[in-house]
Amino acid sequence: MRFAQSFTPALLLLAAGVAQAASAWGFDEGSVSVVGRKSGEAVKEKLNARAPLSKPVSLGSTDTLKLSLTAKDNGKAKRPHQAFLLLQEQESGLEAPFPLTVKENGKAVAQISHKDLPVQLLAATKPLKASVVLASFGSAQGLDAPVFELKIETDPNVPPPAYEKPLRYGKKPEIHHIFRPDPKSPPKVVSLFFTLAVVGTLPALLIGWFTLGGNLNHLSKAIGAAPLSHATFFGSILAMEFVFIMYYTSWTLFQTLPVIAAVAVATVLSGTKALGEVQSRRLAGER
Amino acid sequence: MRSLISFFVFLFAAAVSALSTTGNRLLVILDDVVEKANYSKFLADLESRGFQLSFETPKSESLALFHLGERSYDHIIFFPTKTKGLGPKLTPNLLVDFLNAKGNLLVTLSSGVPTPNSLVSLLAELDIQLPAERTGLVVDHFNYDASSAADLHDVLLLPPPGPIRPDVKDFFAAGAPKDSLLAFPRGVGAVLGPGELLTPILRAPRTAYSYNPKEQAETVDELFAAGEQLALVSAFQARNSARLTLVGSAEMLQDKWFDAEVSQPSSGAGKKAAAAGKTFNREFAKRLSGWTFNEIGVLRVNWIEHHLDEPGAANQSNPAIYRIKKDVKYTISLSEHAWTAWTPFTLPSASDALQLEFSMLSPFHRLPLQPDPALSTDDAAAYSAAFRLPDQHGIFNFRVSYKRPLLSNVEEKNTVSVRHMAHDEWPRSYVISGAWPWIAGIGVTVAGWLAFCALWMFSAPVPAPGGAAGAARAETKKTQ
Repeated sequence: MRFAQSFTPALLLLAAGVAQAASAWGFDEGSVSVVGRKSGEAVKEKLNARAPLSKPVSLGSTDTLKLSLTAKDNGKAKRPHQAFLLLQEQESGLEAPFPLTVKENGKAVAQISHKDLPVQLLAATKPLKASVVLASFGSAQGLDAPVFELKIETDPNVPPPAYEKPLRYGKKPEIHHIFRPDPKSPPKVVSLFFTLAVVGTLPALLIGWFTLGGNLNHLSKAIGAAPLSHATFFGSILAMEFVFIMYYTSWTLFQTLPVIAAVAVATVLSGTKALGEVQSRRLAGER
Repeated sequence: MRSLISFFVFLFAAAVSALSTTGNRLLVILDDVVEKANYSKFLADLESRGFQLSFETPKSESLALFHLGERSYDHIIFFPTKTKGLGPKLTPNLLVDFLNAKGNLLVTLSSGVPTPNSLVSLLAELDIQLPAERTGLVVDHFNYDASSAADLHDVLLLPPPGPIRPDVKDFFAAGAPKDSLLAFPRGVGAVLGPGELLTPILRAPRTAYSYNPKEQAETVDELFAAGEQLALVSAFQARNSARLTLVGSAEMLQDKWFDAEVSQPSSGAGKKAAAAGKTFNREFAKRLSGWTFNEIGVLRVNWIEHHLDEPGAANQSNPAIYRIKKDVKYTISLSEHAWTAWTPFTLPSASDALQLEFSMLSPFHRLPLQPDPALSTDDAAAYSAAFRLPDQHGIFNFRVSYKRPLLSNVEEKNTVSVRHMAHDEWPRSYVISGAWPWIAGIGVTVAGWLAFCALWMFSAPVPAPGGAAGAARAETKKTQ
């Protein structure tokens, strides 16, 4: 599209050249010069409506660009109603018009420095495309010709102009929540090794006790002396552990507490009897 | 009998709702009611679409935008009026109130008639700038109508405007015949501010410019605006989806420019076959008024549903509470009004997306919603997204905020609680391999305790190797 846009005027010009009969706007004595503040005149290039300058003109931050031309209608100097210099940012196609000051005799000038340029053009990375538009009322055909390219040189010591894009309604970037990582376990081999090591202490303890003389020889004696108490007492200790296991696997706290209370009562009541029997054995010197 | 009456009432209600989605009372403000003859085709088109037109002049005594705090009209058209102000019935304040009450405005300007102060202030309020002195004229020496403005170049010819961005729906040029042209006679161009609520519908060509015919007849030295910065037709849609359209040229809507014969200037030998033909103005005016008066580009949310998307979960709709890290599915059903009926809403282009945000203060998820044909019907399209809730508890919103140029705003928020894990929802300790040594430790302690109890109670003393020594030890124990 942009290619077509830039191509059409060239085609028009070519056509205008062929059909000399049609009245058309053009210019003579066109020149563009860049004047530096310190160095005075720096560059001056002649402009041609049929072919834009091959090399871009560069404009430093303290320079002033001066464009001058004489507008002509069919070769006769005349003042057009519209005499613009259009600067176009090539990527977005954004265009800024700069009207030329035109005298009665068709002489037109424009001066542009950095402060005249909109911030979007100052921030452009590619050279700006400059075209001259000369047109007026009536049947004379207007001129819209690309004449040169303008390179904006920014001062490296000055921060580049800040340009914030205006807010536009549209699609926003997607967001995917990043979940916290799952808790990790050490390798199973390590866990298994230490599990076995822990389990291994139980046989070691029992073997240790039995080698030191531990035995269950008084079991029948104790049961014989206080059968109900001993069975209940030891049973209640077992039951208490069972309650804890049930609590671990399925029971809730308020299911567990009454059962613990019941088991504890049984432990206390049977425990006095059972432990009394143990004491009687101790007093008899049998322990 | 009664059912028959209610049937007719229903039919009538259907007919009424079939035109604009917000209502059909249309107020036309004219300088002189006689002037409406100039716009007869445009107004007849509106009437045929079901609008009830009332004509008033700004000075009219009976004119009131509000009655008992309610809008008396749903839409207003302003045709150019010669009066400097619009009087106490149409102050900018009242017009802003009208917009705030979801009323729609179609404002037309003309370069021959200075814009009334009231409208200039209203437009300035919306960040639309008009040329100073209230008189600007847009001309283009390259794209003008050679048959009616060969000398003055003030009748611009433009192609119908396409979408401003590739992801915006094409309301105004869609289906236009190739090479069709819009005539924009003697109009005023406006400059739009950078706000997101403003949309240029028709921009001037790059060689067009606006000048003051009284002061700049010779040459243009001070430029108001030129090129594509100049908006010839622009649209404003407020946050409440009330719409205002600014048409730079009222003549554009007049009968003589509807289907008028126009021809582009022949520009040299290369383009001898300059386009000529009938203007696209009538269709454009229909679309423009249809958009302004909520006949097209209006979105409706039919229903919203979200549920737990876990296998075996109870299929409860829209629960108030979820748990973190659960899968959920969200579905929204949208319809778009197209002239007379609600149609399923489809995204303007593949690069656009209907997005769901799951947010607490800021979004945790922003996901595209995909079309869900299983839940779509003839007049509604369902869009859904399935995702896993974030691992953060709190009060969250399912939020769909679909705001696009030229489409009415969709802003939907559904609040749910997201609770943390209950203590019995974590994995059991025996499935965690790292816990095995500790569980084994507890088991060993329990077994060891039981063994200790048994030994302590039932162990018999070991007979001493020397017999006496054992007895002596027993003796010493006793004495202690």
